[in-house]
Parts: sequence; structure tokens; C-alpha cells
Amino acid sequence: MKKSSLTCLMAMAAIAPLALTACGGGGSQAAASEKVDSLTVLDYYNNEPDKTHIQGALDKCAAQLGVTLKRETVPGKDLIQKVLQRSSSRTLPDVLMLDNPDVQEIAATGGLAPLDDFGVDTSGFAQGMLDAATYEGKVYGLAPTANTLGLFYNKEMLAAAGIQPPKTWDELKAAASKLTTGDRYGLAFSAIATYEGSWQFLPFMWTNGGEETDLKSPKVAEALGFVDGLVASGSASKSVVNWSQADVRDQFAAGKAAMMINGPWQIPSLAKTPNVKWEAVQVPVNAQGQTPVAPLGGEVWTVPQTGNKAKQAKSAELVACISSDENQLALAKERFTVPTKTALAGEYVKAVPEMAAFTEQVANAQSRTGKLGKEWPKTATVMYTAIQLALTDQASPQEAFTKAEAK
Amino acid sequence: MTTLDITTPGSAAARLRKASRPKLGHTAVGLLLLAVMLFPVYWMVNASLQPSGNTLTADFLPLNPSFEGYEKAIAQQGPNLLTSLVISLGTVVFSLAVAAPAAYMLAQFRFRWINAALLAILISQMIPGIVIANALYAAYNDLGLLNSIPGLILADSTHAIPFVILIMRAFMMRIPPSIVEAARVDGAGLVRAFVSIVLPISRNSLITAGLFAFLFSWSDFLFALTLTTTEDVRPVTLGIYQYLGTQVSNWSAVMATAVLSSLPAIVLLVLAQKYIAAGATGGAVK
Amino acid sequence: MPTLTTSPAPGDLSPAATAGTAERDGRRRGFRRERLVQALFLAPAALFLLLFFGYPVVKNVVMSLQEYTTRTFFTGEAPWVGMANYATAAGSSLFAPAMLNTAMFTLGSIAGQFVIGLALASFFKRRFPLSGFLRSMLLLPWLLPLIVSSATWRSILDQDSGILNAFLRNLGLIQEPVPWLTSPSVALLAVVLVNIWVGIPFNVTLLYGGLQEIPEELYEAGAVDGATGWKAFWHITWPNLRPVVSVVLVLGVVYTLKVLDIILGLTNGGPANATQTLAVRSYQESFVNFQFGVGAAFSNILILISLVFAVVYLRMNRRAVDE
Repeated sequence: MKKSSLTCLMAMAAIAPLALTACGGGGSQAAASEKVDSLTVLDYYNNEPDKTHIQGALDKCAAQLGVTLKRETVPGKDLIQKVLQRSSSRTLPDVLMLDNPDVQEIAATGGLAPLDDFGVDTSGFAQGMLDAATYEGKVYGLAPTANTLGLFYNKEMLAAAGIQPPKTWDELKAAASKLTTGDRYGLAFSAIATYEGSWQFLPFMWTNGGEETDLKSPKVAEALGFVDGLVASGSASKSVVNWSQADVRDQFAAGKAAMMINGPWQIPSLAKTPNVKWEAVQVPVNAQGQTPVAPLGGEVWTVPQTGNKAKQAKSAELVACISSDENQLALAKERFTVPTKTALAGEYVKAVPEMAAFTEQVANAQSRTGKLGKEWPKTATVMYTAIQLALTDQASPQEAFTKAEAK
Repeated sequence: MTTLDITTPGSAAARLRKASRPKLGHTAVGLLLLAVMLFPVYWMVNASLQPSGNTLTADFLPLNPSFEGYEKAIAQQGPNLLTSLVISLGTVVFSLAVAAPAAYMLAQFRFRWINAALLAILISQMIPGIVIANALYAAYNDLGLLNSIPGLILADSTHAIPFVILIMRAFMMRIPPSIVEAARVDGAGLVRAFVSIVLPISRNSLITAGLFAFLFSWSDFLFALTLTTTEDVRPVTLGIYQYLGTQVSNWSAVMATAVLSSLPAIVLLVLAQKYIAAGATGGAVK
Repeated sequence: MPTLTTSPAPGDLSPAATAGTAERDGRRRGFRRERLVQALFLAPAALFLLLFFGYPVVKNVVMSLQEYTTRTFFTGEAPWVGMANYATAAGSSLFAPAMLNTAMFTLGSIAGQFVIGLALASFFKRRFPLSGFLRSMLLLPWLLPLIVSSATWRSILDQDSGILNAFLRNLGLIQEPVPWLTSPSVALLAVVLVNIWVGIPFNVTLLYGGLQEIPEELYEAGAVDGATGWKAFWHITWPNLRPVVSVVLVLGVVYTLKVLDIILGLTNGGPANATQTLAVRSYQESFVNFQFGVGAAFSNILILISLVFAVVYLRMNRRAVDE
């Protein structure tokens, strides 16, 4: 080891978090200048085909704005950790993608710039998505497309059993029961001990009038009771407590489940099993006349506070560009997601008819953080814990939320 | 135990006779044990040959193998494999170079603060990796060590060095000091005695410790993720994660990459184990 | 446990007993220089440990005494809260179950790994055709990324379509499928089983290395004295293996207490919190609930527990040196 690097290492131990740009290149940033010719981007579209689709949209916008991009993709579950490291060492990227329920958490740190600082137009976007990206009255990011949950069903299996796609809970229960045969379950969904489990419960809870701000209400308990009943009656596997949404898709694609609750992002992988003919409808409601309300998913592009105003302005332009009408439609078509500008819905469904149910669902979808903001993670934890308590018979659906909250 | 001093001259001969018999029965038992231990690995290979990447509809044997995952892995992971190899071998060399002398000192010499030193080494093994990674990111960023192979070697050595010190110390406590003493009487300095006597007779433990240094580094994901911001330096563990999307994962490619990435490592392991066996027959401690 | 003094082996077989005499035996001259060279042997390792661990250790302790949130990462502001995070951690209703699970997980894993590891190491010590190759293949599980092995185990342990239940049912051992990962009363056991599998290579390799270092002459001499089979194991193998055994056990405990990826990959702490351990709590408080102070408190509690084992190890160690 060379002497100079040794001294640097010693210094690093003593005052690691402080800037030590003196020893060694890299890390030093050029002073803010008017001309911006490159931007750094951080997102979690690390897997194909999304990686390439997003790259396409980014490249188009970069060319339009006359900048080059340096993009880094990380696995989804590690994004927040990476963002926190970057904010403590003042190396946040110029453009940052965040999952929509995380936006308020990060905005609250002061690490993001509100988009109206740069005059970005945020009108025409679905309210649910704006709610998710709004912190203390200011919008911090835009999402080009959104997703949500629906009920997929195996056309052949339903036809063979003479069943119409269920619209209400009663119909769903009856259908699931009738479709359960041998090693096949009527319905598959995810009740895993992660946010995915909470997210999958939301359509049942919200549609029934339950609210995340009042988890002990009878309406929430009724929704949990319904889900619990599906497992208790054997229409859904007990393994749902350990299934992620990808596992649910696998079960459905393998013909081991006749119906599943899942999102449109599964559509490309369902194409790999062409023998499974499927269609999707909105998540059933408890009583006829209720509006199905599902949670809104999707990623929001934001502009972090990097201290370089010129670059931030350029980044804001990039964020606006990714969410332009043209890019929304292109990304929605490629990725089987729904444009977030409500005016584009008609044109989109015409082009991609299998997305009709999801597009309708998105129109009424709610954001998870709309009411709770930063409190969402805690509530989501209580939710999946309660669901697991009920499904594993550790608590009745009525007591489950009280017991889960006691932690 | 009074029976112990009763000498039974026949037993040694009996033992030797028994030892010389062909031991194919042992091989059969060994194969069986290995089959049980490695069944999950087989199941992973089976999954990697399924088009869906899972075994939900798979038979016990992959009769209709799909090589899609392998095609992808071979096309995309070659350079990453090389990066992993360089980093892992670098970690082995660096860790052994730093840790072996320290282990020898701690094993063979009495220091008043030896327990404090051992405790410090043990504590270093208790720190969650993420805490170290977070601290290193900030420091590496300032030092320009992000996205560099030396940076990752140093970071991966945080797994290996404390471990190697503890393990080699345990082994080196068994070296009779008289061996070194004899050389010292002949005028050899401490350094020369260490290099020409201690290291050669510690070959087995050096290889064992080196193996683990290699494995620690080979399986590291956290440092690779934390300390790289581009795709320039990307170990294969991180490469695997490019197939694990947030919503959709390509498990056949994940499994295929795992299978492929274990192949070069297996070759190294077999070679290393050969050395251990050879060292033993050579009668290391004499 | 037999101590070294009851060891029947001829001659002085406990090298630790003579350790240290090197420097006591005269050689006063050049004592200072000798000390300097010794210090130089230790210096690189000491420096490395200080550089790479000093700061993180201090940081983790400091963090646990602060209200450390996502905001802190950006602003650097973290108000001191004293022991409040520890109170939150210890006061949560998950603390007691997590402690218990951690204890059972660690105890079960270590017992399983060590016993099976030692048995396999002894078995592979005999030389037979392919023994070296088979032994190195035993390390294979360690080469697989944990994310991959836990995914594979999840599919093996699946209640409905897993191969393990199918196998047990075909053997007639079970009537109903075992809910390995889906029942709160079985999940911890399943996680322990997987962790044993992951840890066996570590134990086999180190214990095998230790066995190899025991000179064959001891066994020959022991055989002359009638010590064969189990007797040879208790009176020759075990005392001579002890330094390696103690380090394998203490490292095993320290590593097992920290295990996170396997549990996250298999159950994520579920079902219904049945596999929550202190390590999982620490991770979830930090990266799921963004309560970094509480997360650090949990990990420091974990470090304290590890420390207890470390001190026990050092005690054993000192006794070994003194003998």
C-alpha cells in the first residue's frame, strides 16, 4: 500500500463522514455552471424488459433536452438504503425515481425539490398519484404511468365450471369454492408479511368502506373476515401467508389457481404460458353498487436537492418530459401500465383492450399515503401482521388489528 | 480411566490392517451423504432448466429442459464472473498477508492485552454488514475508491481478516514453539523463522482460512451494491440481482447464473482441498 | 468434558502449554528489537481493524442514542434521546418473542451444524476413493447466493407442491402435508433446518482442518494404550481439537445471531411474527419503519449478547493457555 493512500485511510477512519476530497480524485464535482450537459439518474428498473423500456423513454427525453444521462439501476428493495447513503454524503443523483408510497418519506427529509420551483405543470394527472407525491401541499414528483390490482381469471377453467367472472364477494366466494379441485385452488392472492400483503388487502378494505386511519372499524374486520373465510374454507391455499405476488402469478400460470388477485405488470410474464388463457376484471365488491377502490401503484420521478440549481432545472424538465402525453402512452403500452393523465385513458384502452379493467380501476384508485403520509409504513406493518394473525388462526378477524397494533 | 495404561500391542496392527482394506463402502456412504446435502442444489439446477424458473410443475428430472436462462447468463455474466474472481483472489491474498502474521503473534506470544485484542476482533465480527457498508460508502466517496476493484477487495477483507486471524490463531496454537526456537538458536530472525518455518507448517490452515476468505468475498452482495454506482465493476452476485426486478423476476436466469458462477469456484475448492490432503500426508508437524 | 490433564497421550501434546515459553527462555538480548518486530507483525491487522471497524462501531452506538430518522441522513440533525430507543426496543411486545426466537434459532442451528459438521468431518477424515472430491463438494451450498438458496428452499418446503412433503407422503411418514413455512408453530423449525444446511460446510471444513492437524502418531500411540474408537475420540481427538472447536463455536454463535437474509428470504419474519429474531427486528425497524435509532438499539442488544459468548470464549481460551 502506498503511503499517501495509507494516510488517507487513516484520516477516513477518524472523520469518515466528512468531506475529504483532498486525497484522491473522483467525487469532486464541477462548480455549477450555466451549461448542463449531463445528468445522473437513479432508479430501480433493474430487470428486463422494464430496464430497456425506461431507458428508451429516458434517451428520448435526453436527446430532446440535449443532455447525456448516467443511469444507475439498483434492486428495488435496496433503493431507499442507497438514497439515504447518497443524501448523507451529498451525492444524490440529479433525477431520482421513487416508489410512490416512499415519496413523502423522502420529501420530508428535505432532500427533494418541489416541482413548482421549476414551473413544472402538474395538471391533468390522476388525483391518487398527485396525493402520493404531495407533501405539505407541494408536488414533488410525477409518474408517467400507474398500476393497480385486479382479478385475473383462467377463462377455460371458469368456462368448464360454467361460472361467470365474479363481481361481488359472494360470487367470488362461490366461484372460488366451485373452482377448487384436486391440487387446484379457486383463488390465489398474497398475504405475505411484507407491504405486498397489505397492498393486496387494500382493495377489499377500501371497497368495503374501511379506512387505514381506523383499522379497528367493523368494516375493516368484515373485509378481513371475508379473506380469512376464503382460506379457512380451503378455496385459497394456507400458503398465501408466504406467497409474494410473483408466487401468486406462478401458481396461476402453473394452473394451480383458477383466479388470482394481481397487477398488470404480470401480463408480460403470463405471455410465456400461452396455454393459460386469462382475462381480468375489477376486484369484486361486497355489495352491488359499491365502487371498487384499489390502491394505486407506480413510480414517481423526482428532483433531489443537489445544490446545483442549473442541473436541478434541467432535471425537472426531464421529469416533465418522461410524463409527457407521448411518453405516457408509449410506456403504458410497452409496460402494461396505465397512463396517469386521465384524459389519455380512452385512447389507451382502444390501443390495449386487455387493460380496460385496470384502466377503469386506476381511475378510482387511491394512494396509500394520501391520508397517512409518513405514517403509512407503520400502518402497513400493522395491516400485514393482522392479516397473518387471522389467516394463521392466531386471532379472529375482529381481534386481529387490535392484537397487531399492540406491538 | 484405569484401562488406559494397559497396553494392547495387537490393536495397532489390527488398526493398520483395517486401514489398508479398500474402502469402497465408505465411498458409497459418502456419496449418499453428499446426495442428501446437495439435494437443494440439484433442485436449483432443476429449476434453472424450467422455462418458468420454478418447480411448481416440474418433474423430478428436467425432461424438457429449457436453456433460456443459461443463454442469458452466459451472454451477460461472463465479465462479472471475471470481476468476482479477481476481487475474491485479491481478498484472499490481502487478508492472508495481513492476518497471518497477526495470528501467529497472538497464538505464540504472551501479551498482557491479548484478550482485549481478541475481544476487539470478535466484536468486529458482530457489527452488522450494513453499518460498515454505510460508513464505507461515505469514506470511499471522499477517497475516490467507489467503483474500484481495490476498494471492493479492502471492503470484502472486513469479512475475512478478523475471521482469518481467529481461525489461524486457533490452528497456530498447536505449533510446538520448539520448532521455531531451534531455528532462532541458529540465528534466524523472527521474520525469517515465520516465513521459512511457521508458514510452511501452517499450510493447511492457510488454505482453509484462504478458502473462507474466498467464499466470503465470492458471496458478498452488500458491499458490491453499496460501493459501486456504475456497471464498470460488477461482481456476479450483483449481476444476479439484475434479474430480480421489483415486480417481476427472471428466476431461470437467476438460477442459471447461480449454477454457472459456482463452477469456477468449485474448481478452486477442489484444488485447494487437494493441497490440504497432500499437506497432511506430508506430515506437516514433525 | 475431559480436560487436557487427563489426556493419556504420551509426551506433551498440548502445544498451548508450551506457548509463550519461546520468549521466556532467555534471549534477553535484543529484547527491545524483538518486541518491535512483534509489534510490526501485528500492526497491519491492528490498523485495518481500527480503520474499518472503529468508526462503524462508534457510529452504531451513537445512532442508538439519537432520534435518527430518514431526515437525519439529509440534515445530519439527530437529537439525543438517551436510552429512549433501548426502552422502545425492549418495551415492544415483539421483544420477548424475538429474544426467545433468537435463542432457539441460535441454539438449534449451532447444535445441528456442529454435530452434523463434526460427524461429517470425522467421516471424511478416513481416506477412501473420492473422499477429497466429495469433501470439497460439500462446500457447494456456500457458493450459492443466499437469495437463491432461500428461494430454492421455499419451493422445496412449499406446503402444497413442495418436494419435501411429497417425499414424506410417499414414504408414508405423514398423512397431511406439513405446513413448513405457513404455520406459526412449525416455521421456526423449518428456518432452523435451512440454516443448519447453510452452516454445515463452514463446520465441516474447519473441523476437518482441525482433525488433519492432529498427528497420526498420537492415534498410533493411543491405540497401543487401548484407546480406539470412542475412547480415542474423547481422549485424543477432543482435547487436541479444542482450540478449533471453541473458535468454530464462538464464530458460529456470532454469525448465527446475525443471520438475516435466510429468514427474510424464507418467511420475512412471518407467519404472524413466528420467525422474528433480533436481527430481523433491527432490519425492519431501520429499513421498513425507518426508525434507525431503534434499529441500532436492536443491533446493539444483539452485539451485547454476542459479547457474552465472546467473553466465555476468552475464558476458555485463557484456561487453555494456562494449562
